[in-house]
Amino acid sequence: MSARDDTSARRTPASRRVRTSMPYVLLAIMFAALFIFPLFAGRRASAFNVYDALQLWSAYGLVALGVGLTMIVGEFDFGVLGVFALCPMIAVKLGEINLFLGLGAALGLAAVVGFLEGAIVAKLRVHSMPVTLGFYIALLGANLAIGNSQSVSFSNLNVGFALDARLAIFSGRSIIALIVFALVFVVMRFTRVGRDIRAVGGDRRASRMVGVAVDRVLIGVFITSAVCSALGGVLLAYSFATALSNPGLYPLQFAVTAAILGGVSLVGGVGGAVGIAAGALSLSLLQELFSLLAAPTYLSSLITGVLLVIATFVAAPNLSAWWRSLRSPRPGAVAVASAVPEPASK
Amino acid sequence: MTGVDSATNGSAAAGRVAQLNPAAIAVYAFVAILAAGIVFGAFMTPGFLTINNFSAILTSAAFVGIIAVGSTLIMLSGSLFSISLGTTTAVTAILFMFMLHSGVAAAAAVTLLAGTAIFAIQGALVGLIGANPIIVTIGAGAIQEGVIGWLSPGDITPPPGAGIDFLARTIFGLPFSVYVFLGLALVLDLCMRHTRFGLELYLLGENQPAAHAAGLPVALLTTAAFAVAGFCVAVAGVLIAGFAQNVNLQVAGTYTFDAIAAILVGGSAVTGGWGSVGRTVIGALIIATITDMLLLVGASTGMQIFVKGLIVTVVVVLLHLARRERRSP
Amino acid sequence: MPDTPLALEVRGVTKAFGPIVALNNVSFTLRRGEIHALVGHNGAGKSTLVKALAGVVSPDQGEILVNGTAVTLASARQSQEAGIAVVEQELSLVPALTVLDNILLGRVGAGFRSRRDDRRRVEELMTRLGLADVGPDTVVEDLSMAERQLIEIARALSRDARILILDEPTATLGEREIKRVFAGVRELASAGSSVIFVSHRLGEVLDLCSRVTVFRDGRMIASRPAAEMDRESIVELMLGKVAEKSKVERRGGGAREGLVVIDRLSAPGHVTDFALGVSGGEIVAIAGQVGSGASEVLRALAGLVPDARGRVSIAGRPMRLGAPQRSIRAGAVFASNDRKSEGLFLRQSVARNLLATRLKAVSRGGVLSPGLSASLAQRLAGLIGFDRKRLGAAAETLSGGNQQKVFLGRCLEKEGAALLLFDEPTRGVDVGGRADIHNLIRHAASKGACVIFASTELDEIMDLADTVVTMFAGRITRIGRRRDMTAADILAEMTHGATNRAAA
Repeated sequence: MSARDDTSARRTPASRRVRTSMPYVLLAIMFAALFIFPLFAGRRASAFNVYDALQLWSAYGLVALGVGLTMIVGEFDFGVLGVFALCPMIAVKLGEINLFLGLGAALGLAAVVGFLEGAIVAKLRVHSMPVTLGFYIALLGANLAIGNSQSVSFSNLNVGFALDARLAIFSGRSIIALIVFALVFVVMRFTRVGRDIRAVGGDRRASRMVGVAVDRVLIGVFITSAVCSALGGVLLAYSFATALSNPGLYPLQFAVTAAILGGVSLVGGVGGAVGIAAGALSLSLLQELFSLLAAPTYLSSLITGVLLVIATFVAAPNLSAWWRSLRSPRPGAVAVASAVPEPASK
Repeated sequence: MTGVDSATNGSAAAGRVAQLNPAAIAVYAFVAILAAGIVFGAFMTPGFLTINNFSAILTSAAFVGIIAVGSTLIMLSGSLFSISLGTTTAVTAILFMFMLHSGVAAAAAVTLLAGTAIFAIQGALVGLIGANPIIVTIGAGAIQEGVIGWLSPGDITPPPGAGIDFLARTIFGLPFSVYVFLGLALVLDLCMRHTRFGLELYLLGENQPAAHAAGLPVALLTTAAFAVAGFCVAVAGVLIAGFAQNVNLQVAGTYTFDAIAAILVGGSAVTGGWGSVGRTVIGALIIATITDMLLLVGASTGMQIFVKGLIVTVVVVLLHLARRERRSP
Repeated sequence: MPDTPLALEVRGVTKAFGPIVALNNVSFTLRRGEIHALVGHNGAGKSTLVKALAGVVSPDQGEILVNGTAVTLASARQSQEAGIAVVEQELSLVPALTVLDNILLGRVGAGFRSRRDDRRRVEELMTRLGLADVGPDTVVEDLSMAERQLIEIARALSRDARILILDEPTATLGEREIKRVFAGVRELASAGSSVIFVSHRLGEVLDLCSRVTVFRDGRMIASRPAAEMDRESIVELMLGKVAEKSKVERRGGGAREGLVVIDRLSAPGHVTDFALGVSGGEIVAIAGQVGSGASEVLRALAGLVPDARGRVSIAGRPMRLGAPQRSIRAGAVFASNDRKSEGLFLRQSVARNLLATRLKAVSRGGVLSPGLSASLAQRLAGLIGFDRKRLGAAAETLSGGNQQKVFLGRCLEKEGAALLLFDEPTRGVDVGGRADIHNLIRHAASKGACVIFASTELDEIMDLADTVVTMFAGRITRIGRRRDMTAADILAEMTHGATNRAAA
């Protein structure tokens, strides 16, 4: 009888069920909070607030999608901060000539950046963090150089109006974001590529052994990540008719928190577009709640930070090993010389 | 290599020469070109070869350098880096300013302790339960922003007659901060090379499972590495407060990525186990020098930052290639 | 059936890894519809041949023909395209993915079947292998080792491979599961595919296979119909001319103190109810193949298994399990079987590697003393027979044998080390280095320490051990003095069912 006859291993462990349902539970809680809490302060949330939250979501949620995808595949992309800054600048500057030229150039640049990052990480096997960090710094510098260290305004206000025109709780922007999320969802769930992405993130060695085109997957993910972030930034810039000189760290903070709350695992191979969308929406609703309550901004930072730390705690790989080691029984005072088979050596 | 290896024969040198390969040659070539470029630029750039300018370079490298040398320990021990270096710098600057009404010594003591503790807690999370350092430090940064926003919404200014002028004083033409930077770098470098703690950090960064199996106190070492980094961040915070008229969260500026860039350009391995504090000093100086040169020829801020990013990327890639070739299967 | 076309033919294949010749002019044929066993003791060359067929290594010489045509198998993809499917010992499943995803992963030339067809096919396969209650959407992470092994086999079967190679597939499986696997394999064979079954479990080999090929020392020794063989004859062929009695007579051990008592040691999923007593100066070998639990026993004693349970005492003092520092404090020293990822610090110098576990001894007040370090490093180098002039070289530049010596050297001459645990002490080491290491171990034992080592090398066990503990499927099958056992006995114990047979 094998020592490994434990058929009890069939049940989905509680931790996984928690992780997969967490984004949606959190979303429900946030929705409830948005409509309940303001009542205590004498205000009321309305459909407008949901619209507003979705506006935020459509910009930073796309960044979260990008970062989340790179985390799923087992890497990390600081470059999203760079394209989030630079591509809207390109879109605005060239958009003065022709709107679609600006848009095309911005997304094209993002694709090139993503390709370069992906190629370096995949083919040269360089660690993604320092490389994408270098890209971020360079892209930020380029952004400052092009904009002369100033934010640049966009003369075409009509685009902004069109993008922000309200359709119930949606707008042009959020619908575009929704479409992107939906596309990624379909690819991740129903195509071979999606499966390969999770495989590469889950166990790169096994994927290579089994014949998955690991390099192509990595490059594709980095390109997607850059393009999504760029799109989010461009939509934001057109909407506000301004391209910022330095959006700061906030997009990354938002994106990473959203991805983790959305169920993306830090070790790779776990997570999906819908979860990330939910995580990002939860954060957006939280922001909206704060602004509705006219709460000070520090509160949102505080709560986001606490959420993130709790999430890392839950996702920590050594946590269970540490816990099990702590529970190892302390030996009694004297060891028992029990019925141990003593080989009569010598 | 000193410490354990100083007394053993350096026949390793012979082995290393035999390991030249295309990528290593590329690295040496790049360094040579960079050095040549710097020297060339030095002579071509008006106003570069002056004492004033060198002093300016050192000064601009000092604050970032102090933060960077401390954070080098985090990277060497295999925990990557902290994304909230700048945030904690600002926090400690604010704390120092705020505590000045209790006297300089007390304010400094509390600040240094606070910086060390803030980082040590993050290190404990990373070391004990294996939490991802990037995520933990992003979260810690957000929490700190929140707490500061809650406790001190506006700018903090020093109380009159606070007696902190000495922090900003120049000695022999160089500001106090430069001496602190170089002194701290020296101490940390010696520590990493010659103490048991330093060697254990290297071993931990090189191969964590092996260190664990060998019984090294992984959690303790990680916490200590973070604590040292936090101490250095606090030192920088105190000095910055000494320079500034008022402090707020904006003080954080670009310190985080500047410090990380300094470590990376210095060539220490991002995954840990290889590199040194000395390298970080060189990295900080290289970045400061090139930035200064660009400034002197009138390049915009954006251009300076762009070149900085370019250097980081190129150095990281080339060094990785060189190391990988050397360690062929 | 001499006229049946050959599914696979291996001609004169030679493969060397540095000085070690893994395959020496090997020729091998596989007929269509045949289930062919490949047996041989550790290092005999079986795994290298499997790797060559899987496209993982390329032979230095010789050729491989599939269905009469010569092929180059330089990658996993090419191997798959040639119609070969391999189930290796190390599973290639992605734990984060579902069963269905894993089975379909990386499939070459697929994509024309609809998703529903895929799913149905997978469900059929799983039912055939007895996994009907595991849905295709179960995440692999949730499955037991046995179930994962079956999934891996299902994946190979789903590839419609003409040649299926199973490398030690039953190590983690129970009786019922083994029957299912065999049924599936027989079905495949009767449909025209050929199967190579690599195993050390001779009972299963004789049950399942129609032909048996024996390897030894990189050569093909014999290839005969299974009907003409039995366990004893196979074992004889596997052993060749290994002397029955060890050449070196071990002297009586050292002092009697340092008694190590282990009782009811268990590591969930790997080891059940392990109990053993070791005297000072005694060398105990735990003999067991992969999956037997031998390695896990050592790791549990070393504190590397957080949920290990049991009672262990060293020199009367109880030792708490679960963390390496506890074991080290109690006087246990461990060398893992994976020196690269869990032992050596490859980029560091040899000296640093030697001193890694005793930095306290070479530092004064926290500062490393070059003098103390040098003298201790040199003393250890002398002890392990390592060239003192090379102490500054990086560990990664050393040969396998030297690396292993350095790794073991770390464990020797340690103050207060009462229990030495070596997992595969001479893995990847050539004959000369092996002899050196064995002398080192004997020397350490003669100083009074208790030594427990795990090994799959019969020679090593015969050479070194005073006491032999054989393990199978997580339990001890027999404990005895090495003096009273022959190599054949031990091998028979390790290959499943010997004790049962003895009882019969």
